[in-house]
Amino acid sequence: MSTAVPVAELLALPFLQRALLAGLLTGALGGVLGSFAVLRQLSFFSDALGHSALLGLSLGIVLGLDPTLVLIPFAVLFALGVHRLVRSSRLPADALLNIVYSSSLALAVLTLSRARGLQGGIERLLFGDILGVTSHDLQLILGLLVLAGSYLLLTRRSQILLTIDEPLAVSRGVDADRHRLAFVVLLAVVVAVSIKAVGVLLISAFVVIPACAARLACGRFGAYVALAAALGAGGAVLGLLLSAVFDLPSGPSVVLVQALGFLLVLALEAGRNALAG
Amino acid sequence: MVEMVLAVSDLSVRREGVTVVDDVSFELAPETDTALVGPNGAGKSSLLQALIGILPRRSGEVRVLGARLGPRGQLPAAIRQQVAYLPQTLALGGRFPVSVAEFVGLGWDPPGPSLPWTGGRARRSAVAAALAKTGCADLADRALSELSTGQLKRVLLSFCVVRPRRLLLLDEAQAGLDPLAAEQFHQLLYQLHRSEGWTILQVSHDLDMVRRTSDRVLCLNRSLRCSGSPDHALSAAELERVYGRDWVPYRHHHAPGPPA
Repeated sequence: MSTAVPVAELLALPFLQRALLAGLLTGALGGVLGSFAVLRQLSFFSDALGHSALLGLSLGIVLGLDPTLVLIPFAVLFALGVHRLVRSSRLPADALLNIVYSSSLALAVLTLSRARGLQGGIERLLFGDILGVTSHDLQLILGLLVLAGSYLLLTRRSQILLTIDEPLAVSRGVDADRHRLAFVVLLAVVVAVSIKAVGVLLISAFVVIPACAARLACGRFGAYVALAAALGAGGAVLGLLLSAVFDLPSGPSVVLVQALGFLLVLALEAGRNALAG
Repeated sequence: MVEMVLAVSDLSVRREGVTVVDDVSFELAPETDTALVGPNGAGKSSLLQALIGILPRRSGEVRVLGARLGPRGQLPAAIRQQVAYLPQTLALGGRFPVSVAEFVGLGWDPPGPSLPWTGGRARRSAVAAALAKTGCADLADRALSELSTGQLKRVLLSFCVVRPRRLLLLDEAQAGLDPLAAEQFHQLLYQLHRSEGWTILQVSHDLDMVRRTSDRVLCLNRSLRCSGSPDHALSAAELERVYGRDWVPYRHHHAPGPPA
């Protein structure tokens, strides 16, 4: 490991400022979407999407396009395709997702093996790169945050009902099909824009870990979502800072910080239960 | 002529290519309590779900309070608010972090997008009144996941009374309750049926309870086999037509009329 760089010096760097801001926003967004996704059994969906996104990225590289421009349409198509596949097939969703993501991953690796001069680049795609966040990406993330935030805020009652019990939600007049599709597309786009900083291998932790930690600690909806957002954003910022200071890959740093947060909540809850019982 | 709360004509429902409800027609008069009985797999839940658009119907027509149920299960919002459906149990009730008061509040709001700050005070007082009516006032701040089955059923009834409703569809409300809790639940339902002026259609396996409290019985085994007063529809001959020859009338003892 190389020597640590003073934090103040690092914070003056524009690329790190961008990365931290992007981490803060996508971390919060991942936490909020995750708080629904985890309970709707979409954890594996975000995992499969992350792995499949490597295909989108490698196609972008071969065609010489901006990865973000390729990733978002890829993620939307992936979400629509998988949604349709799962609905129309009698096979279990996790098995179908496994087929889709292994074949995408295989195709991606073959594509990359043909693209010359990318050997150093693959690691960045797999584990994330904080140098990769452009100001253009930042604008995109901000727009997405506003869009996702207002959608979830305006339809939160429908979202809660849908997550608790779908027939009950439909009986109250919630259009379950449309909301489910919209949510999956939104989740896919958020995963796609977060991939640059975290990498394709670990992106699903971004959605899953903060929400699970918050679920352990909270019995009320408002507190649950707020804590998931805070853990997501806090984990991302702290992880990216550590990665910059100690020159570590950014994705694993973020995920480890979030996992430590999860363990902390787990320990606190165990302690609280021991005291109460 | 009295306007029917629910009018079903020639309703058929298919599930995964199999006809589970075949050409069913019936009507529910205001403030009646009708039981839907039949063997397992007879299509009782499917019928109930098709009435409110949870399952698509293949053919036939459903009118709720005079409004036609659309092909994709659409109902005008004002009509939808007057109908409540109670599932057997909540698919994810135990795992979603929501308090009892928050959950009951979800039954108050009309569907569709809403701003977070709308309806705060009106919702709060409606929730408090609903919890009081169902004896759940002490549960308001508890997490939905901490409730016993009996408590959860009462909270589901609060979800129904949080707004004035006219039609209540219950899918085996007593499932999972021990005999005492089932009896208590039924007493509460009977009392609310009277005081709220509900029209009830409930799937039930407890023929004994049906005999005592229902005004009318519909016997379903894919198609409607018989309907009428409990005394007629639950006679030995009629039951054999619905359940088959091997049916044994377990727990059969006659109690005097419905509780006052």
